[in-house]
Amino acid sequence: MINKEDVLNIALLSKLYVADDKLDELTAGMQEIISFADTINSAEVENTEFDNINNLSDVFREDVVVESYPREEILKNAIEQDEGHFLVKKRV
Amino acid sequence: MSKYELVAGLETHIELATNTKIFCGCTTEFGGEANTHCCPVCIGLPGTLPKLNKRVVEYAIRAGLATNCKIAEISKMDRKNYCYPDLPKAYQISQFDKPLCYEGYVQLSNGRKIRLTRIHIEEDAGKLIHKNGDTYVDYNRGGVPLIEIVSEPDIRSVEEAREYVEKLQQIIRYVGVSDCKMQEGSMRCDVNISVRPQGSDTLGTRTEIKNMNSITFIAKAMEYEFERQVDLIESGGSVVQETLRYDDATNTTSSMRSKEDAHDYRYFREPDLVTISVSKEQVDAIAKTLPELPEAKLQRYVQELGIPQKDAELLTKYRRITEFFESASIGLQNPKTVANFILGSVFKTLETESAKEDFKILTTPAQLNELVKLIESGKIKNNLAKAALDKMLASGKGATDFIDESDMGGLDEAALTELCKQAISSNPAAVEDYKNGKEKALQSLLGYIMKNSRGKADAQAALAMLKDLAV
Repeated sequence: MINKEDVLNIALLSKLYVADDKLDELTAGMQEIISFADTINSAEVENTEFDNINNLSDVFREDVVVESYPREEILKNAIEQDEGHFLVKKRV
Repeated sequence: MSKYELVAGLETHIELATNTKIFCGCTTEFGGEANTHCCPVCIGLPGTLPKLNKRVVEYAIRAGLATNCKIAEISKMDRKNYCYPDLPKAYQISQFDKPLCYEGYVQLSNGRKIRLTRIHIEEDAGKLIHKNGDTYVDYNRGGVPLIEIVSEPDIRSVEEAREYVEKLQQIIRYVGVSDCKMQEGSMRCDVNISVRPQGSDTLGTRTEIKNMNSITFIAKAMEYEFERQVDLIESGGSVVQETLRYDDATNTTSSMRSKEDAHDYRYFREPDLVTISVSKEQVDAIAKTLPELPEAKLQRYVQELGIPQKDAELLTKYRRITEFFESASIGLQNPKTVANFILGSVFKTLETESAKEDFKILTTPAQLNELVKLIESGKIKNNLAKAALDKMLASGKGATDFIDESDMGGLDEAALTELCKQAISSNPAAVEDYKNGKEKALQSLLGYIMKNSRGKADAQAALAMLKDLAV
């Protein structure tokens, strides 16, 4: 069973903010998602190589430029930034 | 000859020249201000959904067909998980076990075929700049479409590796799916390299040298790594499978990390994207739009146009040159004249390889065509045409701006005789030398004739007449 701590923990890992009054609803929703995995597990997969999601294939976009977001918007969630860049700790 | 044989395979990443990124509509333009070509999809915000750019699939198929690959009827995208700041989602959307293209080859001039395992499509990562002890991240490049061309370990020498990369670059440029500019990072190579005793047919332990952006570096890194591995084995040690970085300043390789195997990446199906199915009809339709490929063109130039092999190789190196050459040759009896002018006068004005590749010259194919027509119709001589071409190339003007009516038609016999007589009477010393058996002395008489006829005289006819008159 999923509890509130699990939801808060996942929210922390995903860097998502969860309002207190949403917690019950989200916990129930999360439990529903986990239960759905059982439905998936019962699916018949013998003799299928790899299939199309919802019987869809070839969903494409045309190669047409769409305006990008303003840089301030892009950097809004950055914990640190400098000179228009995201700033992170150096890793090898 | 070394006791050891080099065995190498290359992984080549090439940025596709689409207008937009692989999964969103942001521009792929190179060189914008940091993080200005970004949106929630390409910076990996939760809740966003990727949507595949149709042209990426088309371009990858073009590249596949041009390198003799089979095209998969059904392929899919997978997530390749690794955690590094250049990848905001902590996974790269790539293709794992169902790549779009597979089982192709590139043929080298020594006749050997370098087999291609596969070509798959994937997204590029962002750019990291390390400074002041921090890492600055720019996601403009994140999500730019790439193809990765993976070769089998069929390469046996540094020279073969060099030719393989050059051939790949040439083919991909011909089919127009990338500019393959290594210095700008739109083509990058990883080299997997191992050594084994000559005659052995088992593979040694390999190392992988990452991310090289010049053919010279690839060659130097391979030479260094070959020696390093041979020395290791000769001194009783063994090669460790690892990923190396090549440092061009010191010409050495150093360890980056122990090499991952596929399972380290926890590949799994990308659930946000549906399968890609490509029908035979679609493949045929794309095949029809492919231009004549470099190898076929080279053969045709040599066999049908009678252009010497070496010259044909220079002409076919870049597609723009072949387009200019073919357009300038329309309706001519002898395209070789055009070839000679391009390889001579035109190449003199294009000093670097990248200038040759861009082939930006002031003279149009039609102007060169007109000039060569004047030669073929006998109106002007080759040397006058050559002088005119130099001026045309410098100014962008047409042949008739430098050759007037009086220059055309060459010299009639009487005028030529008169000039020859003048040449003889004004150069008695040269005539004396010639009479004493010095054939070369005639050259200074010929020079006099050319100068005084402004290049109109026919050199062969003039020489024959000089010989008659001088003795």
